Amino acid sequence: MENQLKNAIRKLLEEKTVAVAIGYGRVGVDGAVGAIFVTNPDDVERLVWNSQCRQNLAVHLTRPEVKALGKPAVVVKGCDARAVVTLCNEAQIARENVYVVGVVCEGIVQADAAGAPTDKLCDKCLSCVEHAAKNVDLLIGDPAKAQELDNQNAPNAKTVGNQAKLAKLRAMSQPERFAYWREQFSKCIRCHACRQNCPLCYCNRCVADKNRPTRIDSSASLKGNFAWNILRAFHLAGRCVGCGACSAACPAGIELDLLNLTLANAAEEQFGYVSGRELGQAPLIGSYALTDKEDFIR
Amino acid sequence: MSHVITLDQLKQTLGAKLADGARVVAPVLRGELAFFQEVSDLEQASFAPRVRFQNSIKEFFFPRHETLFSFVRQGSDVQLTDAPDFDVEQIVVGARPCDAASLPILDPLFAWDYQDRFFQQRRAKSTVVVFACKESDGHCFCSAMGGAPDNTAGADAIMFDLGDGSFEVRCVTDKGKALFTGKTTESDKVGKACDPPKVDFEIAPIANWVRNNFSSPAWEELSLRCVGCGACAFVCPTCHCFDIVDEGSYSKGKRVKNWDSCQTALFTLHASGHNPRATQGKRQRQRMLHKFVIYPDKFGQNLCTGCGACSRSCGVAFGVRPLLTALAQEVAKSEN
Amino acid sequence: MENIYKPDPMEVVEVHQQTADVKLVRIKFRDPEKNANFKFNIGQFGLYSVFGVGESTFNICCSNSKDYIEFCFRKTGRVTERLWDVEPGDTIGFRGPFGNSYPMDAWEGKNLVFVAGGIAMPPIRCAIQYALENRDKYGKITIVYGARTVGDLVCKDELDEWAKAPNVDVLKTVDVAPPEGTPWNGRVDFVPTVLKDAGITGENTIALVVGPPIMIKLSLPILVDAGLKDEDIFTSLENRMKCGLGKCGRCNCGSVYVCKEGPVFTQADIKKMPDDF
Repeated sequence: MENQLKNAIRKLLEEKTVAVAIGYGRVGVDGAVGAIFVTNPDDVERLVWNSQCRQNLAVHLTRPEVKALGKPAVVVKGCDARAVVTLCNEAQIARENVYVVGVVCEGIVQADAAGAPTDKLCDKCLSCVEHAAKNVDLLIGDPAKAQELDNQNAPNAKTVGNQAKLAKLRAMSQPERFAYWREQFSKCIRCHACRQNCPLCYCNRCVADKNRPTRIDSSASLKGNFAWNILRAFHLAGRCVGCGACSAACPAGIELDLLNLTLANAAEEQFGYVSGRELGQAPLIGSYALTDKEDFIR
Repeated sequence: MSHVITLDQLKQTLGAKLADGARVVAPVLRGELAFFQEVSDLEQASFAPRVRFQNSIKEFFFPRHETLFSFVRQGSDVQLTDAPDFDVEQIVVGARPCDAASLPILDPLFAWDYQDRFFQQRRAKSTVVVFACKESDGHCFCSAMGGAPDNTAGADAIMFDLGDGSFEVRCVTDKGKALFTGKTTESDKVGKACDPPKVDFEIAPIANWVRNNFSSPAWEELSLRCVGCGACAFVCPTCHCFDIVDEGSYSKGKRVKNWDSCQTALFTLHASGHNPRATQGKRQRQRMLHKFVIYPDKFGQNLCTGCGACSRSCGVAFGVRPLLTALAQEVAKSEN
Repeated sequence: MENIYKPDPMEVVEVHQQTADVKLVRIKFRDPEKNANFKFNIGQFGLYSVFGVGESTFNICCSNSKDYIEFCFRKTGRVTERLWDVEPGDTIGFRGPFGNSYPMDAWEGKNLVFVAGGIAMPPIRCAIQYALENRDKYGKITIVYGARTVGDLVCKDELDEWAKAPNVDVLKTVDVAPPEGTPWNGRVDFVPTVLKDAGITGENTIALVVGPPIMIKLSLPILVDAGLKDEDIFTSLENRMKCGLGKCGRCNCGSVYVCKEGPVFTQADIKKMPDDF
């Protein structure tokens, strides 16, 4: 599969279909996997595809330094592909201006405290039913394998992994749940790794960075931390694709994906909306249907 | 002849300090991750061998968020109330040598002509007990930064885990002696740290390259994958840049000092909209310049202990060691 | 121990609106003893607070012979928007003086050329005031000051006062001609053009140039052509600062901390610094 990927990207670069390919390479300590930006077809050998390709590379599509390189190809997993779709649906990128190389992903492993791979699958992968990336220009890997894995996961998709964790949280009393988040947010150092690693946190100037007026204290105090993390979750309501980039990047190990999943579940349950499912889908918050519920209006 | 203390005796010693009103900071497990934090009971502490922690002990000397003063507006006048002095004894125990080594590095900065009492009072009131390393990982490069698994820079005492529930204690300063005198027993057991981490680069030629290649295109190329968060700076024991902001309302509030990072686009953004460091390459360049050129120029020491916290915490497999490794290749290219 | 981050409360004494978005504010220490003992050197800066809003950095723009401090700001950000509303009697905060200064003593006996553009007049005004207060100590004084329009000129009244002093040339200019009928006794040209026509000679001359980068860039060759050496051309830099004390780590250009080693630099200093402006 890795060779298939390298060949495909070599061709894209040689034929000048794209100017740069954003893929995974062994760039970190002990060969840790991170983004690489391949512009020369001879460099495709640096590309890798394995169960450590945790990062959502769609985050780079809106970075000005990367945009300056020209039309990109981007390697995406099923979850990452939804982020590309949402970026298109939110008019941040034009679909024709990016070449999406999807991969069949059999699951990504968690990293330990030092970023080294473990043998445990990420929580999001346990409930994944998109092992083959969708809405792509090219799919690398065996779609039949992906279908098989999708079928395996489908029956339990709403009850395992993060959904199971969330169900546990929701079963708590309100004070218990508050205590849980208080403990989580007390670890937050406001490095904003969650935001910077999130493909959908593309705001030119984040509300957390605005000071006219200051709506969120920039301090890593409990007050500032609650305001920041909850506001970010709200801004991702109906937008978060559940790729888990935020939690994976959080140096304090805060389970941010649970916060986002709460709202993603609400979007699906209340409006039948899944972010990034199809191109051309109007943003949930920015659209209105006659069938939308109104029972919350009192 | 060595001096040995059992884990129970260590906890008793620290417990007695707690009872005396001292503040004790120790590693605490929260889920699977270990954090340095203030403990109210020594049973919360975990002294199991571990390479590094999620945070650095920096925050007990230079907190992530600290009140400088508060104010109340009274008519057209404003009453200012100074933040209280830090006057409680603080014992930081369980730090790794690469963490404690940052403290003497930071001393001259906070004393550079103007005395930052917030850092200095905490320094004066603190006793730092480090644990010699039992293992290193691929992120560690203290050996390239003049450190070692048993380095005592910034430490008042160093402990060596003997693997049998006891530690050999070596006091480095009077503060260390004051903490442990009478608490240890004499023994012939001698502790040993792990071997120094292997490094395949040298700092001096890289620092030289950084100084002389301000305009190199390598900065932008190497920094493409950096997404510009502050994780590396906030977990770093030596990064000390901060922001000053007002909180509260116009009539009543406080001014606070918060950690800040040179990796964010906002760090140097002028009110006019001009930004001298508008791209990530320029921001990474600043980070490396500050660590390996500017700080040595000003204070004679590198602003890095080789602890590897940055790369362990990085969401995109970046950080100082990967960047140094990449820059070593630039050095090699320039020599050919 | 003293708290280096705690400002002194200051009373706003006078506020003078200069342009549509520029004001000059005069302040005094609330503590009379502090006010009497306060000393600063020409060219130093301070940090000015609106409590509950924040701090901003501005040059102390008056001469040091007064029993007050003046600063000038443009309404552009969070702090300056709130500063805009201060009135005499209000309290603001001040920390300073910080940074180095213009070597007014070393400049004695020399001709002085002051070149400023737009809002950059205040950092030069302190030196002009000082030089005029000590008129005998300096040679010919040439002031070239321009702004985009007549409405953007700050210290307009003072310009005419300064021109009345002996052996002082004040050359005012605007980029855009004022509407017909507007009284204007200056030129319509860019600052560097006016500077070129000013007949500067390099001998025994010091220049102080502060303004937008493009104005500085085009003015420097004119001064060099006139015979000024890099060591004789001064400027005052403005980088984003938070502490003013060399600690917060954001105002540096390479190994030079603008807050501690600046804000005053010669062209020779600047040439040694990396292009991190």
